[in-house]
Amino acid sequence: MQTSRIIRNALVTALVIAAFVVSYNVTEADFGRLLRNLPNGQELIVAFITPDVTTRDVETRTISIAFPIPCGSAPNESSIPTSGPRLVPSVDCADPRTKFTLEGFDLASDSEVVIRWRLPDERTMTAFRTETDADGYFAYEVEARPISITVDGVASRLEVDTLTPVGDFRPSGTVTEVLDAMFVTIFMALLSTTIATLIAAPLSFLAASNITRRGVIGTAVYYLMRFIFNVLRAYDPLSMALLFAFWLTFGPFPGAMALTVVTIASLGKLFSEAVENIDPGPVEALQATGASPLHTVRYGVLPQVIPDFVSYIVYHWDINVRISTIIGFVGGGGIGYLLNLYINDFKWHQAGTAIWAIVIVVWAMDFLSAEVRKRLT
Amino acid sequence: MSNETANRRPVGRSGIASALIPGLGQVLLGERYRGVGILLGFLVMLGTVVWYKDPLWYAAPILIWLWNIWDAVSLAGGKARSILLPVVIGLAAAYGIGWQVVGIDFGNADLNRAAAILRPMAHPDFVQPRQEHNAMWVNIQVPCSPEPPLARREDAGKVATVLPDCGPVGETLIVNISGMWPNTETEIVWRTPIGDPKMVGEGEAQMLVATTDGTGSLTTTLRVPTTALVAAPDPTLPQFHRVYFDQYRAIGGIELSYVGNEVLKGALATVSMALLATGLAMIFAIPLSFLAAHNLMSGNPITYAIYVAVRTLFNILRSIESLIIAIVFVVIVGLGPFAGMLALAVHSVAALGKLYSEVIEGIDEGPIEAVRATGANWLQTVRYAVIPQIVPPFTAFTIYRWDINVRSATIIGFVGGGGIGFLLVELLRVNDMRGVSAAFIAIAVVVIVLDYFSAKLRERLV
Amino acid sequence: MLRIQNVSKTYPNGTQALKNVSFDIKEGEFMVVIGLSGSGKSTLLRCINRLIDPTEGKILWDDVDVTAAPPAELRQIRRKIGMVFQQFNLVKRSSVMMNVLSGRLGYVNPWTSLIGLWPADEKKRAIEALTRVGIADKAAERADALSGGQQQRVGIARALMQEPKIILADEPVASLDPVLSHSILQYLEQLNKEGITVICSLHFLDLVHRYATRVVALKDGVKVFEGSAQEIDRAKFKEIYGEEAQEVRAASM
Repeated sequence: MQTSRIIRNALVTALVIAAFVVSYNVTEADFGRLLRNLPNGQELIVAFITPDVTTRDVETRTISIAFPIPCGSAPNESSIPTSGPRLVPSVDCADPRTKFTLEGFDLASDSEVVIRWRLPDERTMTAFRTETDADGYFAYEVEARPISITVDGVASRLEVDTLTPVGDFRPSGTVTEVLDAMFVTIFMALLSTTIATLIAAPLSFLAASNITRRGVIGTAVYYLMRFIFNVLRAYDPLSMALLFAFWLTFGPFPGAMALTVVTIASLGKLFSEAVENIDPGPVEALQATGASPLHTVRYGVLPQVIPDFVSYIVYHWDINVRISTIIGFVGGGGIGYLLNLYINDFKWHQAGTAIWAIVIVVWAMDFLSAEVRKRLT
Repeated sequence: MSNETANRRPVGRSGIASALIPGLGQVLLGERYRGVGILLGFLVMLGTVVWYKDPLWYAAPILIWLWNIWDAVSLAGGKARSILLPVVIGLAAAYGIGWQVVGIDFGNADLNRAAAILRPMAHPDFVQPRQEHNAMWVNIQVPCSPEPPLARREDAGKVATVLPDCGPVGETLIVNISGMWPNTETEIVWRTPIGDPKMVGEGEAQMLVATTDGTGSLTTTLRVPTTALVAAPDPTLPQFHRVYFDQYRAIGGIELSYVGNEVLKGALATVSMALLATGLAMIFAIPLSFLAAHNLMSGNPITYAIYVAVRTLFNILRSIESLIIAIVFVVIVGLGPFAGMLALAVHSVAALGKLYSEVIEGIDEGPIEAVRATGANWLQTVRYAVIPQIVPPFTAFTIYRWDINVRSATIIGFVGGGGIGFLLVELLRVNDMRGVSAAFIAIAVVVIVLDYFSAKLRERLV
Repeated sequence: MLRIQNVSKTYPNGTQALKNVSFDIKEGEFMVVIGLSGSGKSTLLRCINRLIDPTEGKILWDDVDVTAAPPAELRQIRRKIGMVFQQFNLVKRSSVMMNVLSGRLGYVNPWTSLIGLWPADEKKRAIEALTRVGIADKAAERADALSGGQQQRVGIARALMQEPKIILADEPVASLDPVLSHSILQYLEQLNKEGITVICSLHFLDLVHRYATRVVALKDGVKVFEGSAQEIDRAKFKEIYGEEAQEVRAASM
């Protein structure tokens, strides 16, 4: 007995290890790559953690100086003030392809700075971006580009914008978009749970052995229903949504349909188990009084199963809210669709807003459904 | 008389209170839960219709508001009104708005299209009859150079010729081949210099198929396809295109089709992703779960702060589906099952961590006391009193998580996370419904089989 | 041999469970501690093997100060003191055998025991202990498959594995019906006759009369009586505990 147990344990251990080794290869796991590339994700995660929720008006202030390229092609900037907002290049003029440092003093503090060339023909050229410190100072290395050379004795100008946020914070456009999409998401979950309940409740009796499994037809119906429930339950609603979106084109409708189908199967199975677990006593007692089968169900079965049914429905409503937050990725509609759009446009901060909204809603639903179910039982 | 005057005041007052703030009158009359419930219900309803911006639906909160005044007045008179009415109004509005928002439109559900999708799905592309392949090709120059080489090729007793030896787009060519299998359907396909296949049958939308005669020869005509030169860098430069002849014949038995093979690989990748993710998650979740167990961590403020932090992290990560987490990992490690596996692992750490910590919180202190009383040291106490209590439920929860992860792994490919989901999206993109059907069947089989065994295993453990 | 000197225990929440309790226990006694629930019986027993550290006072065992023993020495002391619990305190998912073997943890090699290796003679000893309490046939079953009385016998077998000089029994029969109570206490009585000192807390007066050689009574953490079992008749009981005593007695019927 002892040796057989040791052999069995060794076999199980070997099997588990083998399974993990195979998985490791199939998954192309490469933790070295994960660690090396971890910095790639930093920007993304930082953006997710700092969602785009507020916006402020921006005040733009511009100052500029003339900067002749090459030297002597045009007069230098006449006089650079020694106080107040001012730009000070390290040289007054430069030959093409030389580099110099541009400093700004006493500008708006902690503001975004946009540096650009304004060419003699009034066109503007590639901007560089930096930031001023708390004293309103910045320094940036600028190249005297050949394209910025003096034309007809008129020098190009170096222009600097400081962008200072002013005024009150107000919710950004993203917040409204996310809220909008979240409403759709919640309604998707609400409708699919309700429709699924209405269909699954009667079907579940067909899949309950103690009700249906009588005679050849009954047994056949019982197994058929169970088979359908089990197969449909195997799919994640997202796979279903993929198919429905292929049929019904993009939008919340295919998502809701897919969610409904999977919920019918899942609720149907839970419901049928609740029906199977009822106490046969009251049913027997009713039959003894000569009640019809329908009456038996109405007075003997329903009162016993309704609390379980309600608890399962609430539980599934919670799950469905969770799923409808992502079903938009394939079916369209709702917050998942919006999130997908943001991600495809690399709008990481906006995506962060959507993710936080999902976290809050899912969390709230989780809490609410747990509270409601606690009350029920 | 005096009774009536005494009653009239609260009646008026509670009515006005409820008119100002729904539920306030009820609260003043001592029905706190009823009042708060009315207020919350009213606010949710109001928020919904304000969001929806359709004036019609403003009727719903107004009706609820009126009912609330009526209820407050009757309540002051000692009689509560049934809550059914506002609930029905609220539900009617919620479903009405929901119906429109979700865009439910069964008229849009084109059944013909459904049939067109489902019909090929009845024949999943999983296996095919084993067959052998007989191929031959010949070069032809398009467009003509001043001295085109002979369009004729011999290979292993097979001879293919094209007349003329070259031609511009649209030219009619006579192709002849001999030495093939006799009386067999032969597919004739045009291939451009970069290997793009072009159909040369009717309207260039169908495969040209001809049957060889009893000696294995056939002669037919085809036109140089109009799209033959679309990818050519210089359409005036003569280049060699090829005409392919393909014959297939069954040799008995069946084999996995190409798609079937891919589906199997996808299914294996899916199960593997889930397994590895669960294993990885378990390694991280076990130590973290001790930090998230209330009974271990509530002793002093520092450990309690750690407890709150870990719990919050678990709750946040649990709320974010692994599909969303996968997006981050696709950016970090690139497309493929590794990204999906990592996403599943991160989500599972949170889910398992929470379940594990609940097991630890539910641990029975008695055996710990008993083992300590025998003179066991700390490690022995953990080994003999704590581990036997937590290992079976930990294992059961881990297997259960693997089960869930397999299901999630089927969809993580939708965002590039690898596995069968990735294949499914690709197959849908090229409209291969037979392949889609095979993938769907594979998903069901894998999930149901694992579900069954995981349930059996967990039954034995608990 | 065991001297309890001025022992007090105040819990962090301010509850004073024991107030200046002193008494001696001689070798071979069947000492019963009586008292209502919350009177400090459990705390007193747990102070003896220091599952609970007393706030004040000393406990001397053969002139060794238990209360001052450093951890390693404390474990040496504990392995000579078996303990039996009201709720049995078995690891329910482990086998009966494993539960009994765990009583030997103070003796065996700490490292091999960590990976679950047990010498053959320890397993033999465990079977002997189970045979003594009459459930050797249940050795391979899971502890939660056993009835309450059987589980308590596993608890006694576990204590026996320690080859104890003293057995502390904390309400060993409170979770059992009267018939089973006698069978469990008879095992303890048998062990007592073989020379093991038994300190047992009980709250059924009938059982006290039947088994105790000496009695200590606690009330609200204070020792209110010490003497032979015969001295504590119903009248005395009532005198100590007032009208509540009726309930305690009635509960044993």
